[in-house]
Amino acid sequence: MAPSSSKAASPPPAARRGAGAPAAGVALVALAAATLPLVTRDSYYLDVATTILMNLTLTMSFRLQVSTGQINMAHISFMGIGAYASALLVTRVGLSFWATLWIGALVAAALAVPIGSVALRVSGPYYFLITFAFSEVVRLVFNNFLEGWFGGPSGLVGIPKPDRLLGLAFEGKLELYGLMAVLCVGVALAFVRLEYSRFGLTASAIRQADLLAETLGVDVFRYKLTTFVLGSFVAGLAGVFFAHFRQVLHSSDFGLEPMVLLVVFTVIGGTGSVWGPVVGTVLMTIAGELLRELHHYEILVFGAVLILTMLWAPEGLVALPATVRRLLRMRRSKDARAMGVGLAP
Amino acid sequence: MSIDLLVQALLNGFGLAMVYVLVALGLTLIFSILEIINFAHGEFYMLGGYVTYYVYALFGLNYFATLGLAIVTVGLAGVVAERLIFHDLRGKALNAFIVSLGLLWVMQAGAQLAFGVLDKPVPSAFSGIVRMLGLVISLERLVVTVCAIVLIVGLYLFLRLSRPGRAMRAVAQDADVAALQGVNIEAVSALGFGVGCALAGGAGGLLAPLFAVSPAMGALPVVKAFIIIIVGGMGSLPGAVLGGLLLGGVEGLGTLFMGSAAVNILGFLMVIVVLLVRPRGLVGGA
Repeated sequence: MAPSSSKAASPPPAARRGAGAPAAGVALVALAAATLPLVTRDSYYLDVATTILMNLTLTMSFRLQVSTGQINMAHISFMGIGAYASALLVTRVGLSFWATLWIGALVAAALAVPIGSVALRVSGPYYFLITFAFSEVVRLVFNNFLEGWFGGPSGLVGIPKPDRLLGLAFEGKLELYGLMAVLCVGVALAFVRLEYSRFGLTASAIRQADLLAETLGVDVFRYKLTTFVLGSFVAGLAGVFFAHFRQVLHSSDFGLEPMVLLVVFTVIGGTGSVWGPVVGTVLMTIAGELLRELHHYEILVFGAVLILTMLWAPEGLVALPATVRRLLRMRRSKDARAMGVGLAP
Repeated sequence: MSIDLLVQALLNGFGLAMVYVLVALGLTLIFSILEIINFAHGEFYMLGGYVTYYVYALFGLNYFATLGLAIVTVGLAGVVAERLIFHDLRGKALNAFIVSLGLLWVMQAGAQLAFGVLDKPVPSAFSGIVRMLGLVISLERLVVTVCAIVLIVGLYLFLRLSRPGRAMRAVAQDADVAALQGVNIEAVSALGFGVGCALAGGAGGLLAPLFAVSPAMGALPVVKAFIIIIVGGMGSLPGAVLGGLLLGGVEGLGTLFMGSAAVNILGFLMVIVVLLVRPRGLVGGA
């Protein structure tokens, strides 16, 4: 489905120019993740850091889809599908976590093929609504159907932690944090490589003008479906980790509120760059922890920040320096008009 | 199963569906004028519920007067939201959608802070039952359904006959051409958003005595409204009515065979079927 790796290995000049920065960026994330345990081993901080890394894999895969102009309101559902699939395979079938980690993600990706094929038949507002409708179906199924399997309204409990691997026990916070860090850096590497490949350029062309891309010979539907399935695979991966990290699953973990949270993280950081979700997720998760005691205010502040970002800096925080520069330039030369402001012109 | 039972189930479904059609009509009106989906539409319904709680249940004003007040208040809130937030986002579906997600959170959290998180009961305005042709209907539901139908007809007449209503239809057809004919787009957008929200507010007022009032009460009707406008065709007012009747019928019949929570899934299945067979919706245009 994806373009062959030989194409990806020789990106066009425009992509090669910025090839040093992304590698440095991933190295920085990896370094930051590796130094945290040296600074603190407090279980609260490790918990927050693990959550940040898990959210990062979710927002980066969500942005991959936004980068082709899709706001997939069912993204969180594929996380749920991976989570429930793995939890059931471990508790009912007795498979090892290390197998279900990949099986769970593959189940999410496999379901994403038919679902994406239906949803991508429509675009724009219809797409937001159909994916939202699908996410509600998934939530209702987890909550009201097959209660013997999914646990019904009281949730699925008693999910074991990951079993031993290579003599390492994954009982403590530190080991789980390490596992999530490895997963997250791996995902980040893959996405950054993708972003600066032919694939990433095509995705960006689709976002900017999908009709033009289509006339230039890009199979827009296939690209969108590929990003949909790939994004769902990564969401499933995060979901499997979530299931065995929290050890309890509830249908509301995959409802509208966590989904809007993903949108908040991704959009505030900025969807134009692969680094947007990183900035947004880290900043907003920490802000959320600081506001934790005041839950209603947290939601209120996040909602207000989302509105203000979209109205005044729709390209997000990472694009802020460029936005400010453009505004200054505009002030200097009155007739220069801002071009291309917004997520999808 | 007797025919009476079937008719009774259908009637139950249609009754509530008419109120959800009100919510859907507001949503689709806003979509046709501004080309945006307001995900926070259910929060305006919630606002209508709270107006009813404070004015009718606590203050004791007449039920119908309260309903009018809810419609006007929520309509004004809609105009304010359009002026402050949405007026620059005409046609930018993606940005507007994300903004409306933010508005959803702001209004919900605001309601939790202002009104508290607990459900607030609103007493019934009418009690008793009506027997007609061998069917039993609760008087309250009958009044609610009739009120909803009156509001739907009122909206139809407003859009057909009044000058601002015709301006709205003109903008919905082609905003640029309407502007060239001297239609004030800014004013029409604000008014259209206000009318759309007012309908949601009216629906909230109508259903407040049936269900309790709470900050999260907007979620269910807005989901139903989404289903209705996808099935009927986005931007189409007759489509919304048709979609509502279909949803009401399917859900009414569904309750004969499955639990009320499981019935919710039928609407979504309907959406998926419609999108597969006719993505534009039943009455949707090009």
